[in-house]
Amino acid sequence: MLFRKLLRTAWSYKAQFISMIIMMTLGIGIFLGFNMEWKTIEYDVGNFFEETKYADYRLYSETGFAKDELEAIASIDGVDAATRYLSVNLELKGDSKKALALDVSENYTVSTITLMEGAEYDETSDGIWLSDKFAKLNGISLGDTLTLEFQGMEIDGEVVGLIKAGEHMICLADSNQVMPDFNTFGYAYISPAKLNAILREKALNTIADELQKAGVPADMVREQAEAMLTDEVMREATDKAFPQINLRSDLEKTELEDAIKEKLGKTLMVVAKEDHTVYKEAMGEATEGKAMGSILPVLFLAIAILTMVTTMHRIATKEKTQIGVLKALGFKNRTVLLHYSLYGLFIGIAGAVLGGVLGYFVCKAVMSENGMMGTYFDMPDWSAATPAFCYPVIAGTVILLALISFLSVRSQLRGTAADALRPYTPKKMKKSFLEKLPLFGKMSFATKWNVRDLMRHKSRFAMTLVGIIGCMILLVGGLGMRDTMAGFLDLLDNGVSHYATKVNLVENTEYENAKQLIADLDGDWESFSGISFGGDTVTLDIVHNDKGRFSVIDENNHEIALRDDGVYLCLRLADRAKIGDSIAFSPYGGEETYRVKVVGYNRSIMTENVTMTDKYADALGIDYSISAIYTDQDSGEIPSSELISGKQDKQQLMDSFSSFVEIMDGMVFILIIAAVVLGIVVLYNLGVMSYVERSRELATLKVLGFRSKKIGQLLISQNIWLTVVGVLLGLPAGLGTLYWMLTALAGEYEMKLMLGPLTYSVSILLTFGVSLLVGWMVARKNKKIDMVEALKNAE
Amino acid sequence: MSIVQFENVSKIYTSGDHVLRALDRVSFTLDEGRFVVILGPSGAGKSTLLNLLGGLDSPSEGTITVCDKDISTLTDNELADYRASTVGFVFQFYNLIPTLTVYENVKLVSEISKDALGAKDMIGKVGLLDHLNNFPAELSGGEQQRISIARALCKNPKILLCDEPTGALDSETGVMVLKLLLEMAKDYGKTIVIVTHNQNIAKMADVVIRVKNGKIRSIEEQENPLSADEVEW
Repeated sequence: MLFRKLLRTAWSYKAQFISMIIMMTLGIGIFLGFNMEWKTIEYDVGNFFEETKYADYRLYSETGFAKDELEAIASIDGVDAATRYLSVNLELKGDSKKALALDVSENYTVSTITLMEGAEYDETSDGIWLSDKFAKLNGISLGDTLTLEFQGMEIDGEVVGLIKAGEHMICLADSNQVMPDFNTFGYAYISPAKLNAILREKALNTIADELQKAGVPADMVREQAEAMLTDEVMREATDKAFPQINLRSDLEKTELEDAIKEKLGKTLMVVAKEDHTVYKEAMGEATEGKAMGSILPVLFLAIAILTMVTTMHRIATKEKTQIGVLKALGFKNRTVLLHYSLYGLFIGIAGAVLGGVLGYFVCKAVMSENGMMGTYFDMPDWSAATPAFCYPVIAGTVILLALISFLSVRSQLRGTAADALRPYTPKKMKKSFLEKLPLFGKMSFATKWNVRDLMRHKSRFAMTLVGIIGCMILLVGGLGMRDTMAGFLDLLDNGVSHYATKVNLVENTEYENAKQLIADLDGDWESFSGISFGGDTVTLDIVHNDKGRFSVIDENNHEIALRDDGVYLCLRLADRAKIGDSIAFSPYGGEETYRVKVVGYNRSIMTENVTMTDKYADALGIDYSISAIYTDQDSGEIPSSELISGKQDKQQLMDSFSSFVEIMDGMVFILIIAAVVLGIVVLYNLGVMSYVERSRELATLKVLGFRSKKIGQLLISQNIWLTVVGVLLGLPAGLGTLYWMLTALAGEYEMKLMLGPLTYSVSILLTFGVSLLVGWMVARKNKKIDMVEALKNAE
Repeated sequence: MSIVQFENVSKIYTSGDHVLRALDRVSFTLDEGRFVVILGPSGAGKSTLLNLLGGLDSPSEGTITVCDKDISTLTDNELADYRASTVGFVFQFYNLIPTLTVYENVKLVSEISKDALGAKDMIGKVGLLDHLNNFPAELSGGEQQRISIARALCKNPKILLCDEPTGALDSETGVMVLKLLLEMAKDYGKTIVIVTHNQNIAKMADVVIRVKNGKIRSIEEQENPLSADEVEW
C-alpha cells in the first residue's frame, strides 16, 4: 500500500520528479559519455597501435641511414625492434589534387599494417597496399593499377590489398592540415623489394642521362648504365632513401639519445611517439575527453544534486503532515524513512539507467566510424569502453540521492507523532543587510517582496543563479568556440596566407638548387627544421617573405615587419624568455649551439617554433635547406620538377577544415541544446517550487484585489532580476571557461578569443528567453490559483 | 438602503455523478452600515456564501448585486477590481504576507485601491504603531489579526467580510479583536459581514442570518444587539 502511495505522491510532484530525473540523466549521461569517449580512444587506439606495431621512437637524418647504422641502433640494449622507414608524399598521376603518403617499412617489424581486404603483406611483392578509405572514396578496387609521380619518374603497381595503418591513423599530408581528407590524401605501402626496383630504375635513369649527355649512342646507353650501376651505387641510393628509423623500445628518450650518440658518435633528432603527430593528436583527443568529462558533467551533476537537496527538502516539508499521519498510525520511523528514501533511490536509479543509455549514445556519437571521430581517426575497430571509476561514481550518486531523501525526511520525523503532525513552520523572516541600505526603503512593494523572498529561500535563490550561470557558460562557451574557430580560419585564410599554392620541396634542397625555381614561381619561401631548445624539440622557422606571400603575425594578429637581428618566439614558448633575453638552441644532426636574442613574440598557427629571417640565419651561419615555396601560381600551372615533393593549394587546405568545422558545429549545437535544457529544467523546477511556496501569498494578493497579470509580473520580475545577475556573473564565467577550454582542448594552436557581438547577443537573449519562457509558464499557473483553497489552512 | 442583494443564488459542485448544492436558491438583502452575522454549523454553506459575496467565486445560478452592480457575471479582472474597491477581507488565519513588514502589509493595498486610507493612521487605530517594522511572524495572533483588520479597512471598502475572525484566538483576545472590528466599522461607516459558528458573536449583530444545508433557515433583525462587554463569553 505504501508503494502505491509512493507512486501517487511522486505523480503529484511530477514536475519536480521529471526535472530531477532529466538532470540526473543529463549529468550521468554526459559524465559517462565523455569518460567513455576518452577511455575508448585509449583502448581502441592502443589496440590498433599494438596491432600495427606503432613506433615508440622515430630517428631522423637528412642524409639517410646506412644499414650498419640501423644494425648499430638495433643492437642497443632495450631496443626491441628497429626498421629503416620511408614515408614520402606523392601525387597521383593525372590528378595533381590527389596525393598519397607512400611508406616502406624495410624490416616490417615496426610500423606495420592491418589488412582489411586482399593479399597479405609480402616483402617481395610488386603490388601496392592502399588505404581502404582512400580507395573507397576514389573508386579504386583491388586489381586496379595506381600510378604515382616520384621526383620526375612514374611508379606504378597493382593494388593488391586494402589496409589501415597505425602510422597514418590520423592521415594528414603535413602540419598545415588539420583534418584528414581521404578524398584528396591517403596512404599506401609497398615492399622494400619494390622500393629497391624503383630506386634501381631511378639510378639507371640518372646514369643514362649522364651517358646521353656524354654522347653515348642511344642503343648503348641502357646496357652501359646497367654495367655502371654497381652495388655500391645502389647501396648509397638506398641509404639516402631512408631518412628515418622507426623503433620500438621502453627506454627513456634521454637514455636512447645517449646510447645512439655512443653507438654512432653523433646526435640524431629523436622524436618520441608522444611528439609524433598521430599519437600526440590521438592522446590529445583523449585528454580533451578527460577535460570534457570532468567539467561539463560535474556542472550538471552538481546542479542535479543541489536541485535534489532543495527539492527533497521542500517535498519533505510539504509531506510533513503525511509523515505525521503515518507515524500516528503506528508506522515505525524506520519504515517511514525507508519509504521516503525510495524517492531519491528511484530518481537515482532512473537517472542512472537513462544516463547509461544516454552516455553510450554520447560516446558512440563521438567514437564510432560514423561519429565525429570517424572523420578523424582511421582504424578498424570501434568499441565502447568504460573507465572503472565510473561505476562507483554512479553508484555513489544513486546512494547520495537516497541519502538526501533520508536526511530531508529524518529532520521532519524528530519528536512525537503530534509534533510531526503539525504543519511545517517556515523560517521566521529576518531583516537582511540589504534592508539597511537607504535605497531599500524607496523600492517598490514588488521589489521588496522579491528581495525578501530570495533572502528567505537562499538555497532556491542560489540554485536558480547556478542554473542561469550554467546556461550562460554553455552558450558563451559553445558559440564563442565557434566564433574563435571562424576567426582562426579567417586569420589563416586572409591574415597569414596570401599565396595560391604552397610547393613543398624534397628534403635537403639547398638554396642554390632552389634559386631558379623560386624565381620561376616568383615566390617567398620558408625552411623548417628540428632544433633542440631547452630540452624540447621545436621547429626552427627561417622565413623569406619579401613578396608578402605569407605573414608572420603578433599576438594581436597584426603583421610583424621582421627584424634581422634576433628571433621571435611563438606565444606557447613566450614563458621561456623575455624580449631582450638571449636563448640557445642546437639544430639536430650537428654539434653547433647558437645563442640569439629574442626580439619579439609571434602567433604561430600550427607548430611550436622559433622564427628568424633568412638574413639573420645567414649572418649566424646556420646551414638550412628550403622546405616550401609560396607562390601566386595555381598548382596545375606549376610544372613538375625533381625538387618538388608535393603541391597544396590554399583552397584545398581551407577545405580540409570543413569537416573540423562540422564537428565544431555539432558540438556547439549539443552545447546550445544542453544550455536550453539545463536552463528550462532547473528554472522550471525551482520556479514551480517558488510558486507552490508562495501560493498562499499569491492567493492573498488576489483576494486583496491584485489582478492576475500584476501578480504574474511580480513573479516574472523576480526571474528577470535573477537572470540579470546570472548573466552578469555568467558572462565572465563563460569567457573564463572558454579560455580554459581553448588552452585545454586546443592547446596545439595559438588561438585568440574572438567573440562577435552576435555571440554575446544570442547568449544573453537566449538566456533571457529561457528565463522569461519559464517565468511565463510558471506565472500562467497563477490564473488558476484557487483562492478559497489556498487560504483555508493556517500557515 | 440595500447594499447587497442575493436572488436565487446557488453554488453547485459536481464530482462525477455526485452533485453537491453548497448553496441552494438563496435570496436575501442587506442594508448599508449594518453588522450582519451569518451563523451555521460546519458545512452549512456560510463560507461559500461569503466567498460569493467577496468575489472569490462565482455562483452557478442566480444573481448577486452589490452596490447596484451585478457581480455574478464579472470576468476575472473585473472581479479583481471589485475586490480591490468594494470589499475588505479578514480571515481566520490572518493571511498577512510573511515577507512584508507590518507597515508594508497595510501599505500594500494602496497599490490597488484608489481611495486608500493612510497606512500609518490605520495601524495607529489598531494600536500597533510600535510594530511598524516588525514582520508578521514577530507578532502574536491577536496582533496579526489587528493588522489584518487595518489592512482590510485601509482599502476603504464598502463592506468588510470576516471569516471566523476570532477562530484562531483565545477568547480574551477574540473579544478585543471583535470590539476593535465593530468600533472601526462604526467609525468608518462600513457594513460588516461576519461568518461564524459562534452563537455569542451573533448576539452582537444587527442582523443574524442562519444557514443550514445550503439554505437560509432564518433572517433575524435584532432590535437591541449586545455590546461585546455585555456578552457572556
